[in-house]
Amino acid sequence: MNQAKTVLIIDDDPDFVRAVGHLLRSAGYAVATASNGRDGLAHAKTARPDLILLDVMMQDRTEGFFTLEQIRDVPALRTTPVIVISSIYSDHPVFRVSPESGWLPADLFLPKPIEPARLLAESARLTAPGYVAGEATGKGSELR
Amino acid sequence: MKILKIPKKDLDLFASVLPAFGRLYAPVKRGSGYAFDQPASWSDVALAYPRTILPPRKFFLPPREALFSFDSGTGYRDLLAEASERQVLFGVHAYDIHGLNILDRVFAQGRYSDPYYMTRRKNTAIVGIDFDPDDRHFARSMAADFADTGFDLFLSDIGDHYLVRVGTSRGDDMVVMSGCLLSEPTPEDIAEFKRRSSERVAAYRTGVELGDLPEILEMEYHSEVWKELGDRCLSCGSCSMVCPTCYCFDVADEVDLGARAGRRVRTWDSCLFRTHALVAGGENFRKNRSSRIMFRFYHKQRGFVAEYGRPSCVGCGRCIGACPAGIDIVSVIRMIRGQTDAH
Repeated sequence: MNQAKTVLIIDDDPDFVRAVGHLLRSAGYAVATASNGRDGLAHAKTARPDLILLDVMMQDRTEGFFTLEQIRDVPALRTTPVIVISSIYSDHPVFRVSPESGWLPADLFLPKPIEPARLLAESARLTAPGYVAGEATGKGSELR
Repeated sequence: MKILKIPKKDLDLFASVLPAFGRLYAPVKRGSGYAFDQPASWSDVALAYPRTILPPRKFFLPPREALFSFDSGTGYRDLLAEASERQVLFGVHAYDIHGLNILDRVFAQGRYSDPYYMTRRKNTAIVGIDFDPDDRHFARSMAADFADTGFDLFLSDIGDHYLVRVGTSRGDDMVVMSGCLLSEPTPEDIAEFKRRSSERVAAYRTGVELGDLPEILEMEYHSEVWKELGDRCLSCGSCSMVCPTCYCFDVADEVDLGARAGRRVRTWDSCLFRTHALVAGGENFRKNRSSRIMFRFYHKQRGFVAEYGRPSCVGCGRCIGACPAGIDIVSVIRMIRGQTDAH
């Protein structure tokens, strides 16, 4: 029997964490959570999840971007698939840097509110054997 | 030079895209001081800092670095690639930018350029920011209070916005990448920049007269001041370690047990150290502390002026705070000029 893939959700919105956690568990994933970047990074270093879902606007409105850089600084996490999930573009229209332009060292950007079917499909794709890290965000700056 | 502006409230968004240009370092609180380090989040960044403990020199001349390794079986291995990581230094003050420009004269523009320094310099973007001088700053006296070169972007506080001077094509790339965060300044913004610039000049409370200092140092070569300073100086080298323009280094081979492999290592040195002028055979050209501290002042305020046309001091005031014996460069210059007593 295959071991369940693990997903770490880093988000400060307990409702989002509860809903997405339930969705992923029902699809057979093992789910861990953290409510801020610092705790999420610490958990990722020790647990080495198969996938990380990362919010951007937490205590600081750009916290997730900094957390992502720190995740990529950890050699063991450099190619761990990360989906950045945020409403930063709708909440701050002045920020118009496309996440697909290659600057974001993530594997995928998904806007909030999330589409459950899309999230499940992308989670399955990014945790499948043979997935090439960073392919969805213009190589995500080669994931640093 | 292209001049733009960015709302202060959007600086965090702008900083978020900068890692695309290299690992981001910015001033963060460290104990009772500040240091250039990787911020864990934008709220860690302290842009209104007086000065960092160490200057940005550490990013170009690390306190300790292996230059190459050697092995009797495989030969030499160049470690230059380890100096090629891209970096972004965010929030660098004008005097520290001048400090780097001075180091350039020694390591990049001289007869022999240093490939390790050059590689890091080329791969490091500088985003400057202005500052309010405190009692230790005398950058105005050293013509290092305003930077017009040596940065990719320079931010100046004009109230709700920063005025952004774009200094290089890499700076322009940063602007382009950040999308629509920056915009054209208005005439009112420029007027505010000029007003604050004048205010900042007037805010300097510490200063020294430099005009004829090299000549006065020439006349005071045998002054009792040097002996008095030598009696106080502990030769700890703290002033050198925190100086943006000190560049003395030592090079030694570290050989592994078995003596078949090793590496050549460069480490910071200081002209205040007793061993600095010690040579083979045991001769020491600067045996006395007074001769060493005297050399430091003559090198920075006289020798460098003769060689490069300006002192190699930028008036950051770090050495004043770092000296455990309370030796204060501003006081020393005044003493030499006969303006105050030795104590």
